[in-house]
Amino acid sequence: MNFHQSANLAAELIRTDFKLRYHGSYLGYLWSFLKPLMMFGVLYVVFSKFLRIDYPDYPFHLFLGIILWNFFAEATTGAMSSIIEKGGLIKKIYFPREIIVFSSVAVSFVVLISNLAVFGIFYLFADLAFDLNMLLFLLYLLQLCVVTLGVAFFLSALYPKLRDLFHIWQVLLQVGFWATPITYILQIVPQKYTTLIMANPLAGIINNSRLALINHQFPDVGSFLYTLAAGVILLASGYFLFFRRAPFFAEEV
Amino acid sequence: MEIISFQNISKRFKLPHEKKNTLKEYLFFVAKSKSYEELWALRQIDFSVKKGEFISFIGANGSGKSTLLKLISKVYLPTAGKIRVGGTIAPFLELGVGFQYDLSVKDNVYLYGATLGLSRDKINGIFDTIVDFARLGKYIDQKVKNLSTGMEVRLAFSIAAHADADILLVDEVLAVGDQIFQQKCFDLFARFKKEGKTIIFVSHDLGIVEKFSDKVGWINNGGLEIMDQPEKVIRIYAKAL
Repeated sequence: MNFHQSANLAAELIRTDFKLRYHGSYLGYLWSFLKPLMMFGVLYVVFSKFLRIDYPDYPFHLFLGIILWNFFAEATTGAMSSIIEKGGLIKKIYFPREIIVFSSVAVSFVVLISNLAVFGIFYLFADLAFDLNMLLFLLYLLQLCVVTLGVAFFLSALYPKLRDLFHIWQVLLQVGFWATPITYILQIVPQKYTTLIMANPLAGIINNSRLALINHQFPDVGSFLYTLAAGVILLASGYFLFFRRAPFFAEEV
Repeated sequence: MEIISFQNISKRFKLPHEKKNTLKEYLFFVAKSKSYEELWALRQIDFSVKKGEFISFIGANGSGKSTLLKLISKVYLPTAGKIRVGGTIAPFLELGVGFQYDLSVKDNVYLYGATLGLSRDKINGIFDTIVDFARLGKYIDQKVKNLSTGMEVRLAFSIAAHADADILLVDEVLAVGDQIFQQKCFDLFARFKKEGKTIIFVSHDLGIVEKFSDKVGWINNGGLEIMDQPEKVIRIYAKAL
């Protein structure tokens, strides 16, 4: 398959995923917006009203954290099972298997973009200023995609052979949700824990995104470079593993 | 000109005694070194196909015919040996159904076509031909899960057959289709031969095999017993039964 044919197949798989995802549901695509909003509502009440976190623009920090994390969580979970879900095709016909993983992540990316649009609308209503630092967010978004795609390749390469991975990953995501600055801000974490927290590339991405979009600050260069390196290593090694495992998918699914 | 060549191809499957897919099972069974059985589905297969030939493979169920087609189509990787394929492939394997059952006939044509490397524009151009051949004109907006088995097979074959590939792999298409469909398939095979397309055909219908094939291979227990003129191979095969 040449590039054009691969892109066409990816587009077709994305279309299929969207149709199947909301097939038979009344609210359909609206669920993509409702899920993070509901999560935001609950966490906001708990942290802002009950635990009384009083940090400037806390709702924005929280909402941005939730939608970036949700993208990572949904994209990796979806990609993991995508190979099994498309087992029917894999057993019948050869095409580059990575297109399946790529389109699965792309579906979650479309959801992320629409959620960012909601964030943008909130932003307009609040009295937050615009400046050039905000453009840096595009870089962090790219970093997020690289990290997510890398993890997605790892998981989807191993899952057909190791079905425990689904449950392991659910637990790790749960841990990750609290270990990443989503409900809290990195700056309020005691100094001795920050290195540990920043070891997670998503912590750097979310922190820098908040700095750029909400605090209008230049990024933390150290964590930016660290995330860049981590992302590239993850993607390269994940893809390598996937490339090695893919010829056996037809026998494993 | 050779379009397919198999050099000393073997394919081994590892069949777990009990499917071992969870971590616990891995940990518990790590001590037992071999909890699977090896199955050599194909052993040292050698043959080549020239462009434009109609080649059939015959043999009992489980002898390795479908595995052979899957190796040609790259769905499986050979355990040993070298396979060369010099053209695009449209596979119709194991009744060819990799459909998304909750989507319409129309959506599935575009998806299945895309896996064969066809763009939307290309499919738009042949959409009516595909649907007419499968006789599903009335059903294009129906979900595939509401089609009968025969209809589904007709649709899958029709997409593969109209993909305009150099090589068409056909595994048991005639077993499920009705008379009208069979006749359409025969007409199609005749036309493909004229157009110089290569067809690899698997069937239990020896009459059809003899009528269309340039060469026939008999796969017996994973080995290529003989590959020669249709009358000769079929005679030997029938005697061995």
